Amino acid sequence: MGTTAVLQNPATVDAYQALYDSLGRAYWDASDINSKDLIQGAREVIYDIITELDEAQFDANTAALLALKPKIKDTNAVLEKIQTDINGITKNINTASRVVSAINNVLAIVSAFA
Amino acid sequence: MLLLAGCATTSPLARHTAAFSAATNVVVDNSENAYRVAVRIHDDEQISAIVQKYDTNQPWDPHSIKHLIDAKGLETRTDILNGLKTYAQSLADIANNVQSDQLDAAATSVGANLRKMGDTLNPTATDTAPRALAPGITIAPQQANVVSAALKTLGDYLVNKKVKSGVPKVIRDMDPQIDALCKLLDSDLVVLRRQSGNDYEQLLVQQDMFIRKFGSTLSPTERRAEIKKLPQILARKEATDAMLQELQESIHTLAQTHHALAATAQSSSAASLNERIADLRASGERLSRFYSSLPTT
Repeated sequence: MGTTAVLQNPATVDAYQALYDSLGRAYWDASDINSKDLIQGAREVIYDIITELDEAQFDANTAALLALKPKIKDTNAVLEKIQTDINGITKNINTASRVVSAINNVLAIVSAFA
Repeated sequence: MLLLAGCATTSPLARHTAAFSAATNVVVDNSENAYRVAVRIHDDEQISAIVQKYDTNQPWDPHSIKHLIDAKGLETRTDILNGLKTYAQSLADIANNVQSDQLDAAATSVGANLRKMGDTLNPTATDTAPRALAPGITIAPQQANVVSAALKTLGDYLVNKKVKSGVPKVIRDMDPQIDALCKLLDSDLVVLRRQSGNDYEQLLVQQDMFIRKFGSTLSPTERRAEIKKLPQILARKEATDAMLQELQESIHTLAQTHHALAATAQSSSAASLNERIADLRASGERLSRFYSSLPTT
């Protein structure tokens, strides 16, 4: 297992987070500013590590999401085709209506000369 | 009663896809907001840290501010969430197209034109009316209505056939992708909750440090105002986490709803009989409603 994989292991992040939380409690328990400074200095290092791990996780998720994009796009194209086919059915019935109307117009002209 | 009658005319697929689309819209909009909020909180934390360290010996370059999620990451998420929204909306549109108003209008129009043709063939006898072209041929309103209803039935049948042959397969094929997508969004939210919690913790400590180190230079009113910001930061932290937790639960529900949708769409055996009966009843009621809406005189 490579270093990156070890660092991105949820257990590793959880361990860092537990340490960050403990240092947070120690900060608020400390009564003098020097102790608080010291604790917060250590806490910031842990914060930076967790932030880097979180950013790496977002990057990994971005790559996985990018892989999903074409499938969603293709599926939406299939659905669009079904919608077009359905609209075509209505269009055909409309065409039938227009044909009847056109025949009626011709009959009206014929009846005028009959 | 009217509401019940309205519900009864909608097929299960139409109902489920409409519910899925509505739920997806909420999740997508909230997810996009969540990313924006988390990125802003992280930016705020960095700016606050810079202010705190500005006069120290640690050099600061304003270019060093790094967004929690880069532009490509945000764009990818926006694209994919919009794609999900389009998918859900298209499913609902197609499944609900069975009750197409345009189809009703087209079928009614055929009947109306047939009736006009009947009038042309056999005009009402008046001095000014033209002679009947075909005295033996008449098209009664009821006959025109039968043609309209037949076309409506045919149209409904063809649309139903199209929907039932295409949509369930699309939903089934998409189910693993939705599952994978929801898992990734859930993973994003785990990170967003952790990171925004830590960002707020940093903001809290930076504010506390500022008060402790420079509070003596502030007036009592200014000092009081700065101290009051501490519980406000904590309240924002808790509210943000509650919002992200709720969104996480919505994403779990979205995945489960799609699984249920896929299972419903997939069932073509006896297990789906009730649904098919409901489909049939819905179709019959639609037809009955359509027929009764046609003119009889």
